[in-house]
Amino acid sequence: MSEPSFTVGIIGAGTMGSGITTVMVRSGHRTVLRDTNAECLVTGGHNVARFLDKSVSIGKMSSAEARRAKDNLVLSAQDADLSECDVVVEAIHEDLKAKQELFRHLSDVCKPETLFHTNTSTLSVTAIAAGASNPERVVGTHYCNPAPLMKLVEVVRGQLTSDDTYSRTIGFIASLDKKSVTTKDVPGFIVNRFLIPFENNCIRSLESGVGTVESIDLAVRHGLRHPMGPFTLLDIVGLDVHRAVSLSLYEQLRDPRFAPPPLVERMVAAGQLGRKVGQGFYNYDQAGLIGT
Amino acid sequence: MDAINRVAVLGCGTMGCGIAQVCALAGHDVVILEVNKERAAAGFEQLAGSMNAAVDRGRCSIAMRDDMLNRLHPTISVDDLSESDLVIEAVVENLEVKKEILRAVANVVSPEAIVTTNTSALSVTRLAAIMPNPQRFAGLHFFNPATAMKLVEVVRALQTEESVITALISFVQRVGKVAVEVGDSPGFIVNRLLLPYLNDVIQAFDEGLASAADIDTALELGLGYRVGPLSLLDLIGLDVHEHATRNAYDATLDQAFAPPPLLTRMVSAGRLGNKTGVGFRTQKEEA
Repeated sequence: MSEPSFTVGIIGAGTMGSGITTVMVRSGHRTVLRDTNAECLVTGGHNVARFLDKSVSIGKMSSAEARRAKDNLVLSAQDADLSECDVVVEAIHEDLKAKQELFRHLSDVCKPETLFHTNTSTLSVTAIAAGASNPERVVGTHYCNPAPLMKLVEVVRGQLTSDDTYSRTIGFIASLDKKSVTTKDVPGFIVNRFLIPFENNCIRSLESGVGTVESIDLAVRHGLRHPMGPFTLLDIVGLDVHRAVSLSLYEQLRDPRFAPPPLVERMVAAGQLGRKVGQGFYNYDQAGLIGT
Repeated sequence: MDAINRVAVLGCGTMGCGIAQVCALAGHDVVILEVNKERAAAGFEQLAGSMNAAVDRGRCSIAMRDDMLNRLHPTISVDDLSESDLVIEAVVENLEVKKEILRAVANVVSPEAIVTTNTSALSVTRLAAIMPNPQRFAGLHFFNPATAMKLVEVVRALQTEESVITALISFVQRVGKVAVEVGDSPGFIVNRLLLPYLNDVIQAFDEGLASAADIDTALELGLGYRVGPLSLLDLIGLDVHEHATRNAYDATLDQAFAPPPLLTRMVSAGRLGNKTGVGFRTQKEEA
């Protein structure tokens, strides 16, 4: 017996958009990946194919399954291709106006029962929904990066999200072999709500000389049994990304725990953004850890 | 030269037993000091039980168990600590109780002995100040359960001399643990980071962010934490967390350590977590 199959639209073919697309096609849903930038669209399609090929090569998936998944993917530059979608997932850049306009536009293009999902991580789902002509159809579905590997999806009910939209969304997420948790529409939802102040607290502890980069990482790994130390994690996430998320949450909450500590500002100003540039809290040059 | 061979552990509650076990398993002779014979016997029974369980699970041979138990020397006489190279105090988190036992120990150990406290809530510097040789005093903070948790915070009081820190770090490594050196600031490293996070979760839960189960699931799956924060609180004991965070708050007046109202209410109601069967996750109505 096969799971019910949906037609899904993904808007934005960046890291999150292509990752979410991989999740959809792998779950047997016909998926239209849409990006206004043709180059980005092609890259996104390649990333989906590459992930599926890798899954085959490490034995996570048969080549027939990968082929079926790839057959589910449609790359599109046309809005008309979204008209039949049961679910549209927005994964464009974190810009409130752009997201509002997108959903207003989609309200005209899509069926009246189409579910509108936003993958925002820092903006208010309620505010994004306010741009749509039918805000009751908008709900937040926040996937974690990398989407094909991470089990969690935070389902965020906006102020105006209807019960029907919410319950159909929970059923849809279950079809993706993901675990959903339900959270209120508050900045940071659950994961970032607690991760960002924790990381900033680690950075402030470093600033105030309570420990070193190494000792704090060791203490958190072995004393709290986190899978990696906070500075190792921040170097992977990127100091610029951490700063942007912190600042966005701080501006919404006006709570100093979310404010990027001065050390983050200095590191970003100095271009010490973490692994991607070879220098963050750790230096990755000698270790030869720089990759693409 | 600070060779540490003979170890003494003060108190055989949960932490004291765990620390004694770690030291004995690493080959040290361990004197365990308790206030009366009953408690000393109970502590020894607990250790023997834990070793028997390890034998049953095939994680330890009978010879290893006997060898280890032979290295444990429960006593109620402080004079038996006179030969100790290292003393680890693990009695109740009460300043007066700790002061009294530490003074008694100071009278019998050699001036060169290193005396440490496993406190997580009190100032190590303040305890060092009552010792005749405060430069030989430091914090040695093990985590619960001591046998399983790899980390030990080696806490430098204002008075602690360098050779003591060096000797303790190498001792910690020899018993198979990871040592981090920390200054004597409230919460050291781990609790300084953990307590505000747990308080934050309790407050957000009280404000209706999400269900207790969903908060735990989000942090377990989203961040790879082994145990979600509300399950962790049930495990630690809400009273234990409340005591620790209140102490840190009193020492710093930092809002982040202030016990959230829901925590205080739950402690008042006797909902202390796993040990009472009701906490954030252990009661059906709460989960």
